[in-house]
Amino acid sequence: MLQHELLILFLILAGIATIVFVYVFLSSWRLKEEGGGMKKPLKKRFWFSLILVVVLGIFATATLPRSPYFQYAHESPAKVIHVDAMQFMFYMSEHAIDPKLPVSENIELPANQMVEFRVTSLDVNHGFGIYDSAMHLITQVQAMPGYVNRLRYTFKKPGTYHVLCLEYCGMGHPVMETSFVVK
Amino acid sequence: MFKNIVCFCLAFGACLQLLAQTKVSALDEESNIYHRVFDAPLTESVSGQKGFLSQQYERKPLILALVYTRCTGICSPFLLQLKDDILFNLRDSSFRVVVLSFDPRDSKADMNSLQKRFGLEGNSQWLFATTDSIRSLNTSIGFAPVWDSLRKQYNHEALLVGINSGGYITKKLIGMRSSHDLEKMVTSIHNVFSPSYRLPGSSTLFSCFNYDPKSGRSTPGLGLLFVGLPAGLALLIVILLRLMVRKQTPAVPDK
Amino acid sequence: MESQGMKKITSVWIITILMLFVVSIVLGILMRLNQGGVIQEQTLTFYSNLTTHGLTMIGIWFVAGMMAVNYLMQRYVRTSFAVNLTALIFTVIGVLLLWLSTFAGKFNAAWTFLYPLPFKDFGASSWATTLFLISLAVFGIGWFIWCISLMANILKKYSLAEAFAWQHLRKEHKTDTPPFILITTVTLIGIITCLIAAVIIIVLFFAEMLSQGRFVNDALLMKNLTYFFGHTIANEMLYLGLAVIYELFAEVSGRPKWKTTWYVSLAWNCSLVFILTAFFHHLYMDFVQPEGLQIVGQLASYLASLPAAGVTVFSVFIAVYRTKIKWSLTNVLFFMGIAGWVIGGLGAVIDATITNNVVLHNTLWVPAHFHTYNAMGNVLFSLAFFYWFSTQSLENIRLSTAAKGLLVTLLIGGIGFLLAFYIGGSDSVPRRYSNYPASLKEAKPLALMGASFAIVYLIAILSFFYNISRRCLKILFASA
Ligand code: HEM
Ligand SMILES: [Cu+2]
Repeated sequence: MLQHELLILFLILAGIATIVFVYVFLSSWRLKEEGGGMKKPLKKRFWFSLILVVVLGIFATATLPRSPYFQYAHESPAKVIHVDAMQFMFYMSEHAIDPKLPVSENIELPANQMVEFRVTSLDVNHGFGIYDSAMHLITQVQAMPGYVNRLRYTFKKPGTYHVLCLEYCGMGHPVMETSFVVK
Repeated sequence: MFKNIVCFCLAFGACLQLLAQTKVSALDEESNIYHRVFDAPLTESVSGQKGFLSQQYERKPLILALVYTRCTGICSPFLLQLKDDILFNLRDSSFRVVVLSFDPRDSKADMNSLQKRFGLEGNSQWLFATTDSIRSLNTSIGFAPVWDSLRKQYNHEALLVGINSGGYITKKLIGMRSSHDLEKMVTSIHNVFSPSYRLPGSSTLFSCFNYDPKSGRSTPGLGLLFVGLPAGLALLIVILLRLMVRKQTPAVPDK
Repeated sequence: MESQGMKKITSVWIITILMLFVVSIVLGILMRLNQGGVIQEQTLTFYSNLTTHGLTMIGIWFVAGMMAVNYLMQRYVRTSFAVNLTALIFTVIGVLLLWLSTFAGKFNAAWTFLYPLPFKDFGASSWATTLFLISLAVFGIGWFIWCISLMANILKKYSLAEAFAWQHLRKEHKTDTPPFILITTVTLIGIITCLIAAVIIIVLFFAEMLSQGRFVNDALLMKNLTYFFGHTIANEMLYLGLAVIYELFAEVSGRPKWKTTWYVSLAWNCSLVFILTAFFHHLYMDFVQPEGLQIVGQLASYLASLPAAGVTVFSVFIAVYRTKIKWSLTNVLFFMGIAGWVIGGLGAVIDATITNNVVLHNTLWVPAHFHTYNAMGNVLFSLAFFYWFSTQSLENIRLSTAAKGLLVTLLIGGIGFLLAFYIGGSDSVPRRYSNYPASLKEAKPLALMGASFAIVYLIAILSFFYNISRRCLKILFASA
């Protein structure tokens, strides 16, 4: 899972930062007399900043094109699912949902084919977070009243997927839940 | 101060009422999206040639307009606007327009004369046609005209359906709409993805961005001004402050 | 230099802030305990407590930075006691109104009160939303006056170009701008900006309320404004703390004072731009936002870390590395705070990457990173200032064994508490859930872990509270 890798990345980076801070602190703490400070600080500062720029630049160029807005842009979805979020439930249907009489359907989606969720909200902001059967968050989009967000995704594994609300929408927020099946 | 705020709010209210648009229930246009359109048999109004809708959209994506010739209401202005938009504003021949009668009483000749009236006879982008399977077509696109026996007219909405070359409905427009919306429909039938869109019916006065389908970009709306405003105002305040305090106090020596 | 009046009011500020801090931590621990299933709060109570906790914390650490900056600014320019007092009164009234709206009125739309939730706020009394907005307005007015007054004080002495230290970008310059003035200027402008954004939000809210349904706001605009305000103020708080560090770190370490150089000037001028555009990263999952702005959001978030790391953090390294320093609780807290700030920043940069945000947005990763640079960053900056302030008159403060024990307690408590959030985030546990679905197996134990360590953290804070307040009370009741 991406998020587990990110946790490890974070722990490594945080560990490095801690080591650097402890090292710098001890270099001063242990001094008996004047230690002379850092040699050529301006040069070191320059290199430090440059490395940071390069690393961040690489990260940006590697990740930005993979942003969800650009994914599947020139394909047609195998299925379109309408999602209307409401305090405190999700309506999901293959047909457009009538806001006055919203009804949900059982959703079955094909595996390994791109599907599109057209997500909107009938009242406040909600989040549409898709969890796989092991309850890992795999993708999400916000549901905003007055707008339709189109989330495209290809499910690889068949199974039951769960949907949780990922934007605070009032006291019923934690009970907003639904699920669908990928075959 | 408080009075100002109240006045400001009242002014808001007034100007919003002026801007109120024709109300379409926001989600009506969502129905039947990405459903396959029924492959109706068509009879072309000029030559009388028979064929199928699929033969049309397989060649080029389609915009389907539903009208009937005896309509005394919206059909004529609707068709006229569509024609003007396509001929003068869009000037785009990457798609075809099928004008289909949903009234079983309409004959091939009726549609032909309609086409003539609108001066679209020799125009190869346009096709006027009748069908004998209008019910199935209507169901597939979510269109439900109701016969009013008193007025001898259909109660119906002006409907445009965008169909891509796979025969899927990519977008619907209900009511008389701007050429801007029509452009959105054209991009959608060419399968160009834009990750979101605004629902019709809500006031766009304060929206942040207006999506421009021609360039594929969003242009800043009035709302964005509100986001930029604070920074500009803060700078202005600081500059004014400097001007004010400098006048008040005699120049203070720095050291 | 520093007037008696200012000393006394600063003492009042410190005691007030610490008291509110303890209450807010208790609310936080109760939330964690509820999430862990140890206690059972009513859902409504949980969410109104969440609202109280969020806004009180933001409020007190904001004013903590402001009052520290105000106190130190007297070294350069005269500041107004009356305005400081006004801000104190407005802040206290604001907190009281806020608490009335949440504790009594059960307002529970969270401190971001994202439109249109306050209008559909289940369980809240009908007056609660109005009262909440009024409490915000009270904070806003008090703080706005304060910022404007401090800004005016600076501008009486420094021209705009000098306040921004632009002359340092040239080789030759006659006057020097102290870094403290530069950072304060940049920060105050940022704060004024986000307070204006808050005014616009509140006006739009009231416009919709008063128009009785004829005027409806645009949800996207309101969201942009909300995070423009919320993100910016949460970040400027930290910058206030940094201004204090630039002023005090060298001094308490017994080293020569830090000077503004061309790169310090450049870094802080750039910061102003980045900080005002980085908030777009809160809308990554709103596909309605044009892609251009999403990219701006990621780039600005990345860029914001450059001046911070390359200039401020590196300056601290230079100041400490192999340098004989008088280590006291003050500068150790500053140093630890910088470390917390950096580590929180790492978590933030990871989350500010759009492809990562897809799986981290609104999970516990979010409170994880912002608690890192608040509870283990900004709070430590402010505690350092409080401690320095309360021990100013005492000679030769050294790091005692008791103080070391206190720091270790704080560290253990803080790290454990934060780790529970980070692990929860990477296990896809959503934020702002009063109870976790049973299918999220790790969520409950993690909440308990968070609660337990937070209690350790609280113990350390209580000890700080006791020591610092005692000395502050002495300053307060000392005869002139
Ligand atoms: C050890 C002390 C603290 C504890 C135990 C604590 C606990 C919590 C908890 C449990 C939450 C809710 C997390 C969730 O979304 O599920 C939270 C949210 C929050 N905390 Fe803290 N916190 C502490 C310190 C701080 C500090 C120092 C700040 C300073 C700014 C702060 C600001 C916030 C904010 C702004 C929120 C978000 C509220 C919201 O989601 O609306 N907290 N805290
Ligand atoms: Cu929700």
